[in-house]
Amino acid sequence: MSKSTFIICEKSYLIRKGLISIIEKIPDTRIVQQFDSEDEIKNLGNFESDFIIINTNLLNTKTQKILQKISNTSAGGMGFTQIISLSQKSEFKEINWVEYINIDDSQNIILTKLKTLIGNRKTDNPKSEAPDEISKREIDILKNIALGLSNREIADKLFISAHTVVTHRKNITRKLGIKTVPGLTIYAILHKIINIDDTEQIKS
Amino acid sequence: MLITKNIKMADVIHMNYFTLSVLNRFGIELGFGDKTVAEVCKIENVDVDFFLEIVNAFVDKDYFPKKQLQTFSVKLITDYLRKTHYDYHQIKVPEIESLIEEMVKACYSEKENLVLLKKFFNDYKQELLNHTNREETVVFPYTIAIEDAFNSKTLDNSVFDLMETYSIAIFQNEHENIEEKLFDLKNIIIKYLPQPKNSENCHKLLYALFSLEQDIIDHSRIEDKVLVPKIREMEKVITKRFGEKK
Repeated sequence: MSKSTFIICEKSYLIRKGLISIIEKIPDTRIVQQFDSEDEIKNLGNFESDFIIINTNLLNTKTQKILQKISNTSAGGMGFTQIISLSQKSEFKEINWVEYINIDDSQNIILTKLKTLIGNRKTDNPKSEAPDEISKREIDILKNIALGLSNREIADKLFISAHTVVTHRKNITRKLGIKTVPGLTIYAILHKIINIDDTEQIKS
Repeated sequence: MLITKNIKMADVIHMNYFTLSVLNRFGIELGFGDKTVAEVCKIENVDVDFFLEIVNAFVDKDYFPKKQLQTFSVKLITDYLRKTHYDYHQIKVPEIESLIEEMVKACYSEKENLVLLKKFFNDYKQELLNHTNREETVVFPYTIAIEDAFNSKTLDNSVFDLMETYSIAIFQNEHENIEEKLFDLKNIIIKYLPQPKNSENCHKLLYALFSLEQDIIDHSRIEDKVLVPKIREMEKVITKRFGEKK
């Protein structure tokens, strides 16, 4: 499963650290970058993330435009970057704030707000919640990998392009958590996709 | 948390007990009472700054890249890396082997699964051995020769010849992710292996695999983030010197 990524923009070291420690309590999250001055905000466009949490006291009319632009572009093809305000007043109305975090919010309130946002995002992007079970086609591919065939050979045998084989392999690895050919072979034997004897024939 | 000179050595272990293997490689023995890192290092004749860099890099994976480690000599770094190799082959790998062996012995049904596991690890062991052998016979001697040439005032043509046949860039290319198979093995045991009745050994095996994996990742990080950039810089300087001579 892909991680939800955050950029945090806030002057106060203590608040940044506090926020980070709360975000880290949520599984599968990652802090990509931290900014603590108005000047640095200009570089926001160079980074990709799912969420930007920003204190409006770091914004001016110029950087506001940058932020508006970011909220309209997608991060790594995974949907639009969502912008969360870290201030009480709702200034900069042109920005499409998806949530407000107040300095007085308790940990639970902040956790609930963030988890809801992450949850919504996941359901908006069906791609990111693909089932971890491997498909029938992937089992076909896996079988041939375990038998020691190369991508090219598998492609020819199954009448698909080598590129498609590579894509399948990536998905198999992601779903099973196994990267190497010998590892995949063991998986295939344990799940009776191939027999031990099959592999020995190849090696000899 | 950053480990510093004035922290008690005992607290370093309390913080992360995997550091025991780092201590072991520096030849530091237990029983140091309340002595600080600096005091223990002094007694054991260990370069405390080097120890601190290595142990911090080990504990905190984000500690790299730091300039400090770059200042230590190649010899000191490769000596440490050699000791980690020794550790794998003399301690960590045999431990894992005997745990697998015990599991095979204690198992009566579906023994073939464990035999499969054993074979997988055996292949891996061979791969690891080839990997470390190559480093010790080719890569490390090369890096030391480059450092010598870098430090010496005269230009020795033999180094130039050496650089024609090998370079740190080659090492970088052929440096495969040796920890990937360990990652697979862990997942196979955690997720897919039909669990034997005696799960105790299985858990012990997992602990041992996690420990070896962390060690190897740390080891590769030192090579990729410290040794390689250091040598690459030296190569540049040496090539330039030869260029000026011609």
